[in-house]
Amino acid sequence: MNIRRFVSSSLTVAEMEARKIRHDTTELWTRVIQPALWLLVFGVTFNSVKGLPSGSFSYIQFITPGILAQSVLFIAIFYGITVVWERDVGIITKLLSMPASRTSIVLGKSLSASLRGVFQAVMIFVLALLLGVKIRLDPVDVAGVFAIVILFAICFSSLSMLIASFMKTRDRMMGIGQALTMPLFFASNAIYPISIMPVWLQYVSVANPLSYVVDAMRSMLLSGNYSNLPIDIAALLVSTTAFVGLASFTIRRLLE
Amino acid sequence: MLKGGLAADNCLEMTWNKDEAPAAGSAGMEPAVEAQDLTKIYHGNIRAVDAITFSIRRGEIFGLLGPNGAGKTTTIKMIVTLSNATSGRLQVFGVDIFRSPVAVRGMLGYVPQSISVDADLSGYENLLIFSKLSFVPKKDRAKRIWDALDYMGLSDRAHDLVRHYSGGMMRRLEIAQAVVNRPKVLLLDEPTIGLDPSSKMHVWKSIKQLRQEFGTTVLMTTHDMGEADELCDRIAIMSQGKIAALGSPEDLKRGVGGDVVTLHLSSPHLDVLIPREIGNTVHSEAKMIQVLTRNGEEAIPTITDFFRSQKIGIESISVHRPNLDDVFMKYAGRRLHDEEAAGAVSARRDIVRHMK
Repeated sequence: MNIRRFVSSSLTVAEMEARKIRHDTTELWTRVIQPALWLLVFGVTFNSVKGLPSGSFSYIQFITPGILAQSVLFIAIFYGITVVWERDVGIITKLLSMPASRTSIVLGKSLSASLRGVFQAVMIFVLALLLGVKIRLDPVDVAGVFAIVILFAICFSSLSMLIASFMKTRDRMMGIGQALTMPLFFASNAIYPISIMPVWLQYVSVANPLSYVVDAMRSMLLSGNYSNLPIDIAALLVSTTAFVGLASFTIRRLLE
Repeated sequence: MLKGGLAADNCLEMTWNKDEAPAAGSAGMEPAVEAQDLTKIYHGNIRAVDAITFSIRRGEIFGLLGPNGAGKTTTIKMIVTLSNATSGRLQVFGVDIFRSPVAVRGMLGYVPQSISVDADLSGYENLLIFSKLSFVPKKDRAKRIWDALDYMGLSDRAHDLVRHYSGGMMRRLEIAQAVVNRPKVLLLDEPTIGLDPSSKMHVWKSIKQLRQEFGTTVLMTTHDMGEADELCDRIAIMSQGKIAALGSPEDLKRGVGGDVVTLHLSSPHLDVLIPREIGNTVHSEAKMIQVLTRNGEEAIPTITDFFRSQKIGIESISVHRPNLDDVFMKYAGRRLHDEEAAGAVSARRDIVRHMK
């Protein structure tokens, strides 16, 4: 198994998804509604109230990276459902019988989630600009945000596939997804700073990968202070590698 | 002594190396697929496949024939590394499947029992994606894909989404994948199940053509006797995880010996026992009995006399040369019957559950 084949199979699996999205883009557009509401309704309302301490930034500035991370999280955490569905229609059987290594198949599937995440990020950037939210548009920072989006989607979609290998049905995955997303979201710094949380929740948020992602995005989009960035990226890289590795080992269980 | 031991070790290592580099060892004439005492045990005690041993020659069309639950699909899944064998040995072109699963998958093409093409992509895209995943050289890709689409009669629908294809077209697209990817061994699990007669013929023709043009070795499962007779060079009859008989269709039919006499009775008689000197009962239902005799025509008067003496009315009698159906009955008949009966019970249970 050489690197070129590995990369090419991963990209091919992602290409498969890209082609499907091109045939039917409905899902992409409907997925924009939720983050749009968070920004337009929740963000704008709380911005005028000024009830949450958001440091030197306006609340809507503060919440924009949070909503971006949250919407990518939603896509990724439910990706296991897509994989279970593909198992039901025989596509996973077919993919796993291919000569490509299974790690490259899992990585390709995660990249498919990233693809949706990138589109989501683009739409949130557009919305933020339309609302006049002041974010730093330095090209390096924007590229950095997209890199984080891609990595973050790989991380949580492979976690979702890892869970799906054991849960095996769409109904269970739906339940697990629901059970995971809200705690992850509310126990993070996505829509309020960690400092106003009760102490026990602050501890939880330290162990919450979403906090690191939001922190990384905030540093690039708002503050330009990169001091936490190495830790954020390291935490993300470690968990991504672990989840992809584990999921490629367990994914065959889906077929049993 | 010590030296001899070392030499033996070296030998072992050399075979291992050869295993891992199939291209270098292709001059050897290992069988296409070789299974030894292959066993799969599910949930601790269900022996889905029970120590089967077989060897498939290069360029052969080999059939696994058996009722549902006989272990055919499990066998194929073990070869394609989707399921781990519990024990036994399995090699494809001399490459050990447990040691080099990726190398083995590189030689295989697999068409599962249920449709596995992606309905959300076009026919062309299905072939493109899976040819890339099979590492078909980029320069050959487009030509091979269009040739395959032409050959399978799908070119005018190439850019339609597969969800708008008929079942027969989907199956043909799956065979087209094999034409594009050109595997050394093609594994087909019930390739014509649920197809109309003309699609079935098309699939049969293309399987033969694949073998003829590319020397593809084919391993297929079926429970359609006609299909096995039409396509397979050799057949392994599977029943309850074991191979009950193995040979060419002709040999197997000859092995049955004699003729099959089928009697239709005018009233149900399950308890009737045909005397040994007339022949062996190979199959019986309430109003139907099949008897295997040395010479069918000569046996008819004896049989009618016997039934008259038993005061059982006969509606009709027919005689035919053994076909694979009879072969099947001979080797797996009673078991097939048992399995069907068990299925009927569980179906009834389902109905009861629904009514509640």
